Amino acid sequence: MAAQLEIPSLPIENIYERRSPAVEALRRLVRHRSAQVGFFLLGILILVAIFAPLIAPYDPTTPLYDVKRRSPPCIHLLGCPADQAQHIFGTDSNFRDLFSRVIFGSRLSLQIGLTTISFAIFIGGLLGAFAGYLGGWLDNVIMRTMDVLMAFPSLLLAIAIVSVLGPGLINALLAIGFVSIPVYARLVRATILSVKELDYVSASRALGASHMSLLFNRILPNALTPLIVRGTLGIATAILDAAALSFLGLGAEAPTPEWGLMLGEERNSVFNAPHLVFFPGVAIMLTVLAFNLVGDGMRDALDPRLRGKNI
Amino acid sequence: MKHKTWFTLMSILVLASFVLTACGAPATPTAAPPAAAPTTAPQAQPTAVPPTTPPQPTEPPTAAPAAFTPLSVSAPDCNYGSADIPAQIKSIEAVDQYTVKFTLCSSDPAFPSKVAFAAFSITSKAYLDANGGDSVTMSEQPNGTGPYMLKEWVRGDHITFEANPNYWGTPPKDQTVIFRWSDQAAQRLLELQSGTVDGIDNPSTEDFAAIEADPNLTLYPRAANNIFYLGMTNTIKPFDDVKVRQAVAMAINKQRIVDSFYPGGSTVADQFLPPFILPGYTEGLKWYDYDPTAAKALLAEAGFPNGFSTTISYRMVDRGYLPSPDKVTQEIQAELAVIGIKAKIVEEESAAFITNTSDGKEPLYLLGWTGDYPDSTNYLDMHFANSNNKQFGTLFPDLVNEIKTASTLSDAAARQQHYDKANELIKQYVPMVPVAHGGSADVFKSTVEGAHSSPLGDEYFAVMNQPGGQLVWMQSGEPAALWCSDETDGETLRACIQMYDALLSFSIGGTEVQPGLAETWSSNTDLTEWTFNLRKNVKFFNGDILNANDVVATFASQWDAKSPNHKGRTGTFEYFGAFFGAMLNTQ
Repeated sequence: MAAQLEIPSLPIENIYERRSPAVEALRRLVRHRSAQVGFFLLGILILVAIFAPLIAPYDPTTPLYDVKRRSPPCIHLLGCPADQAQHIFGTDSNFRDLFSRVIFGSRLSLQIGLTTISFAIFIGGLLGAFAGYLGGWLDNVIMRTMDVLMAFPSLLLAIAIVSVLGPGLINALLAIGFVSIPVYARLVRATILSVKELDYVSASRALGASHMSLLFNRILPNALTPLIVRGTLGIATAILDAAALSFLGLGAEAPTPEWGLMLGEERNSVFNAPHLVFFPGVAIMLTVLAFNLVGDGMRDALDPRLRGKNI
Repeated sequence: MKHKTWFTLMSILVLASFVLTACGAPATPTAAPPAAAPTTAPQAQPTAVPPTTPPQPTEPPTAAPAAFTPLSVSAPDCNYGSADIPAQIKSIEAVDQYTVKFTLCSSDPAFPSKVAFAAFSITSKAYLDANGGDSVTMSEQPNGTGPYMLKEWVRGDHITFEANPNYWGTPPKDQTVIFRWSDQAAQRLLELQSGTVDGIDNPSTEDFAAIEADPNLTLYPRAANNIFYLGMTNTIKPFDDVKVRQAVAMAINKQRIVDSFYPGGSTVADQFLPPFILPGYTEGLKWYDYDPTAAKALLAEAGFPNGFSTTISYRMVDRGYLPSPDKVTQEIQAELAVIGIKAKIVEEESAAFITNTSDGKEPLYLLGWTGDYPDSTNYLDMHFANSNNKQFGTLFPDLVNEIKTASTLSDAAARQQHYDKANELIKQYVPMVPVAHGGSADVFKSTVEGAHSSPLGDEYFAVMNQPGGQLVWMQSGEPAALWCSDETDGETLRACIQMYDALLSFSIGGTEVQPGLAETWSSNTDLTEWTFNLRKNVKFFNGDILNANDVVATFASQWDAKSPNHKGRTGTFEYFGAFFGAMLNTQ
C-alpha cells in the first residue's frame, strides 16, 4: 500500500519558457502603439511604390494635352463635373498629373532612403569596427576624421560634395551617404569597445579564434541592435536631406518625379496654386513620420532593459 | 610617443587638405570670366584729373557770349579702342551754331536710332560744367528742353512734374504728371482700380483677363522688343546636320509655349526679328509648321530613326523674353522626346552659361536677346555675322554676306531686300529656332486720352490727357536719377524722357526715328559722317538757348573719360559703351 506519491506537475513552461530574444523583440514591436501606426504607413508606402504604374492614372513625366496648367484638384466624387478629366491632386506647371507624380515619387524616396543608409552603414560600420577593434593610431586617425566630418553641418557638407561632383540624383545619394558615415562609425566603435573586453570574447580568443572571426562572428553581431534602430531613423533623415538637395536643384533632375524637386520647382506657387506644394510636402511628411515611428518602436522593442515589460 | 607624432602629422595633413578644398572650391565659379558683356565700359576716374591740358581733344577756351566759338572733340586716330570694344567715334564737332557733325570710324546705319535713345538726351553745356556731370546733383534741378519740368522729387514716395511753359513742341495736355511706384503688381492694380492712380505698368500675367473684362480700364499690350530662341551649335554632332536642326524646328510647338508660359502681349516668333523692326522683318515669311511626324521623318532621313541623346541647357534667370525658364525647358524637353530626342536638362550658373554658349560648347540651349535699339543690326549682326560669337557654331558665309551688305546701306528699301534674303537663309539653315517675343503691358483708365504703350518702354505723357489736368502714373520702381546719361534702368529712363529731348526721338508708342532737337539730319554715302541741324530758339529750363556746343559737350562728357564732366552716377556709361564702342582717354 505504498502511498502513491503524486508529484504535482508544475506549470514550468509558463515560468521558465525561454523565447529567443528576436521573437521577444518582435512581440514587443508589434504591440508597440506608435510602431503599429508607423508600420501601417510604411506598408501603404511600399505597396504604393511597388504598384505605382497600376495606381497612377497618367505617365508622371509626359505633359498632357487638353488640360489647363496648374489647375486645382478635380475629383468626380466631390462634385467636379464629369465632363472634366479627373485629376485627384490637380495638374502641375508643365501639364502633368500631380497625383501620378506623387505616386511615382514614393519609389524614389524609398530607394533614396534605403540605398544611402545601406551605404553609410556598410562603410561607417566597417570603419568603426576596425577603429574600435584595432585601436591605436588607426583608431585615432579614423575617429578624428569622423570628428572633422561631424563638425560640418551635414546638409552643408552634402551641398559642398554635390557642387564638386555636379548635380544629379546619384551624386546627391553619394553625398548624403557620405555625410551619414560618421554617425554609424561612432556607434559601432562604441559598442565594440565595450563588447571586446567581455569574457566570452577572451574565451574565444583563448580558443584560438582569428581576429577576423572574433570581430565578425563574436563582436559585431552585438552591435547590430543599435545599428538597426539608428539606421531606421537615419532613413527618415536621408529622405529629408535628399528632398532638400533636390529642392535646391542639386538632386534629382527635371522631369524626375522627386518630391523635393516638385516642391522646389513650385515654391513660387505657394499662394496662387498651393496644391502644387501641398501634396508633395504631405507625402514627404508622411514618409518621414512612418520611418520615425517605426524607428522609435524598434528602439523600445530592442532595448534589453525593457525586456519582459509591456510597452 | 611615436604614435603621437604620427597622429599629429596625420591630423595636420587632414586639416591642410580641408583648408585646401575650402580655398579651392570657391575658385571654380569665379574662374569663369564674366565674358560676353559688351556693355561693360571701362571705369574712369572722374575728378582726379585736373582740366589743365587734355592731350588729344582740342577744347578752345569758353566762348565769349557774343561770338559763337564752335567746340569739337576728336580722337587722334581710330585705334584707341580694344579688341573687345573697338573705337567707333572719330570726332564730334560743332560746325556752326546750329549744326553738329559726328565722324565715325566705321559705317553705322543705325546711328539715328542710337542717338534717339533716352540716355543720349541733351543738356546745356554751362549746366553740365557747373555740376561736373554728376547725375546726383543734376537730379536736384534738371535742366532739359522737354515738355515737363521737375517740381519736386520726394525720395521714396513720388515725383511731380509740371508743364514746361517754354516747350518748343506741342504743349503738354496735362498740367501735372505724378510718378509713383510699387514693386508689387497686385498693389499697382489695386490702386488703379480704386482710382488713386490713372495708369500702371506691368500688371501680372494672371490679372490680364480681369483687366480686359473691366470697362473702366484699358490694357495696352507692349510690343515685345526681344526674342526667345532655342539655340543649336552646328559644330557639335548631330546638330552639324541641317536636317536635324530643321527637325528640331518642326518639333517645337511654339503656340503652346506662348499660350501656356507667356503673359498677354507676347507673340509667337516667326523670325528672329520682332515684326516692328523695319527695315528687317520680312512680311509674310512664316516659320516651319509644328509637325512632329514630319520632324521624325526628317530625323530618320538624317540617320537618326530612333532619335539620339543630347543635353539641353538653360539658366534660371527670368527675363522679359523668357518668364519661367525651368518650366519652358521641361516643355521643350518633352516636345523633343516626342520625336525621339532624349535631352538631359542642365541648369547652369548665368555667367558660365553665357560663356559656354558664346564659346559654342552647348549643343542645345535656351537663350534670348533684348533689343538695345530698334534696328536690325542690333539683332542680326550680333548673332549671325559676328565672328567672335560662336554661339551657333560656324557662320554661314552667304548669310553673313547679306547681313553685312545690308548694314552698309542707307536706303531702307535696299536694306530690306538683303534682310529678306537673310531671313530666308536663317529659316533654311536653322541656326536656332525663334520661339517667342515676350510681351508686357501697361494699363490706363479708359478716360485717359492718348494713352499708349511703347515697345521701348518710354511712354510719353505729354500726349496723354486725363480730365482734370493731372495724371498719376505708377510704375514698378523708383527712378535712380533724373539725369540719364549713365542709367540703364527703364524705370529711370522713362522719367528722364519727360524732361529731356535727344537729337532725334522715337515715334509715340513706336520705334520709328523722327526729329527731336535736330530738325533734319543727313549722312555721307558710306554712313561714316552724320550731320544734324538743330532747331533754333529751343530754350532750356534755365533760360539758355540750345546750340551745337551743348550737344558736343553732352556727348563728350560720356565719350571722353578724361572730361571733367565724365562722372555720371556709377561712371560706367553702359549704353554709350554698347552703342558707340570704346571711350576716349581710358588709359
